[in-house]
Amino acid sequence: MTETVISVSNLVKSYSDLKAVDDISFSINKGEVFSLLGPNGAGKTTTVEILEGVRNRTSGDVRVLGQDPERSKSLIYKLGILPQDFSFIYNSTPKEALNFYKRTLRASTDLDEILTMVDLSDKGSTPFQKMSGGQKQKLGLALSMVNDPEILFLDEPTSGLDPRARRNIWNVIKTLKAKGKSILLTTHYLEEAELLADRVAIMNKGEIIDSGTPMEIIERHHEDDRLIIRGDGEVSALLTTGGYKFEREGAYIKINMKNIKDATQIINYLYERKAKFEDFTLKRESLEDVFVRMVGEIEEDEAE
Amino acid sequence: MKPSRVSAYFILHAKSYMRSRSALFFQIAFPVILILLFGAIFSGSSYSPSTLIVQNESPSAISWEVVDAINSSGLFKVQVIGANQNISDYINSHSIQAALLIPSNFTTNYAYGYGLLILKGHTNPTVASADYQTINGILTQLNFKASNASEKLILSSQVALGNSGKTINFYVPGLIGFTVLSTMFNMVYTVPNYRRERLFRQLSFSGLTKSEWITANMLFSFLMLVLSDIVLVAIGIFVFGASLTLNIETILASALIIFGGLVFFTSVGILAGLVSDNEETVSVVGNLVMFPMMFLSGVFFPLNFAPAYLVTISKFLPLTYFINSLISVLDYGNISAVTLQIVWLLLGSAILFAVAVKLFSWKQK
Repeated sequence: MTETVISVSNLVKSYSDLKAVDDISFSINKGEVFSLLGPNGAGKTTTVEILEGVRNRTSGDVRVLGQDPERSKSLIYKLGILPQDFSFIYNSTPKEALNFYKRTLRASTDLDEILTMVDLSDKGSTPFQKMSGGQKQKLGLALSMVNDPEILFLDEPTSGLDPRARRNIWNVIKTLKAKGKSILLTTHYLEEAELLADRVAIMNKGEIIDSGTPMEIIERHHEDDRLIIRGDGEVSALLTTGGYKFEREGAYIKINMKNIKDATQIINYLYERKAKFEDFTLKRESLEDVFVRMVGEIEEDEAE
Repeated sequence: MKPSRVSAYFILHAKSYMRSRSALFFQIAFPVILILLFGAIFSGSSYSPSTLIVQNESPSAISWEVVDAINSSGLFKVQVIGANQNISDYINSHSIQAALLIPSNFTTNYAYGYGLLILKGHTNPTVASADYQTINGILTQLNFKASNASEKLILSSQVALGNSGKTINFYVPGLIGFTVLSTMFNMVYTVPNYRRERLFRQLSFSGLTKSEWITANMLFSFLMLVLSDIVLVAIGIFVFGASLTLNIETILASALIIFGGLVFFTSVGILAGLVSDNEETVSVVGNLVMFPMMFLSGVFFPLNFAPAYLVTISKFLPLTYFINSLISVLDYGNISAVTLQIVWLLLGSAILFAVAVKLFSWKQK
């Protein structure tokens, strides 16, 4: 039986007239990577901060490891938190920061191992203010792991990082997942969520507009798959003759398909007629394509 | 409150602080510079007579006798200018504070019983007034001599028991007060800065509580204050010859006063820092609180000569009592006279600390 580590029921957070979080409910299971997705101002960080106990809720019920984060003082020992816009005392070094966390959280972790894991072993004595953005973010991630937490809250962990640093953090998250840690990940990068998350919830304007595995969400909201062929006018003529509808953009011919199996039929048709095309690609809609359309549709509906 | 968490933050803060050049400058170097400056200016080891411009429009034996008496007093170095010069123009063109005119009818009038001298002042009335008092004293001596009268009332100064009467004795407690007051300014900047950078949120993830953070800060500040104040006292004694009453009782009483002041002013700093997250706003608030206290509580000069209304205002400033207590303990070795003040200081500090902890929130607004 799956064990629920976080449960959120009818959570509301209001600031006078504004509802930053509007009656949302979800749960996260032990060992699961759950991702909250949404545009800026969707209410992701507010939700996460309520779960961390940093912010008080207006109404609804929240349980983290069976405790109310607003009241529990012992919960912090079981959580690892990397907040958005992580910052630390300017003149402190990573080793000092990690030692401080180790002492206050009564942890027994090997700090050198953590520094190596986040690729900061050679920066242990560098003052925080002299570290790069990526190194600072890695320190934040390292601090969230000091107490070997049961749940990690990672709020935009790769925001503003270069591709190499981002991949490094992805590897750390994969390692944590392999160790059975439950992770709540908020991110702007849909590719990141698709790669790391077991389940996602898409938030917009304080509400959850859909949730499920990335594949389930893509299946529910995706439109046509697309076959893209690089070919000349002869290919276009053959496709017209065969009754296929397509669009041409420069050297590329784009054909929308209801079923991805139709691609085999089209390619065979062109081979049989010895059509000269250089290559072809098959493009399925990604979580990002679906997300942009979902959020965009809501905004268009409201504009109307 | 967990001592292990307090000590963990104390160590983190101490290591970070030691890397901050500006913090070390203001904590250690700045008070040292101040005591060296004030000590040098007011050490009183030698007196440099000021130049007094004299124009004698009535040259005679008696007029030159007056000029000689002023010159030989050692208080002025007389410089005589020609009678053909316009003394007012001379004052303006040479930026002189005051000049003495012996008018053309002086000798004649002196023969009839009264010789009038005129001290012409310029921009600084305080200097002109001091010159007037000094010259008047010299002339009084001349009058006594001229009338063959003897002085029946003579004022002499004598050092009171346990106090050398040196100005530096006043500045040591005053500058200790300044170092304690500066802890308030640290907090005025730290609180909004930490909130803006979301460092309180980050620290809360370590399990540290706000009262533990304040306590660790205060303990570290106390340690730094003790160090910087030891340096101040040592310079006062060994460089400028301050004669302070230092024994176990006065040292402990001073430490208690400094700790009380630290808690009081740190709490004021926290409350002032809560006003806004904007650096400019808190700077204004901090200066509004700090500057009146710095100048009206006797840090840099005693208020004995200040107008009555300023003395009344100073009685409402907590730093006044802090410095008076320190002066009483360190200069006079008199703890019993200020016991009640110390008790009030500690009581006020405890109340203000409780208010600051209550109002100071780590939660995101």
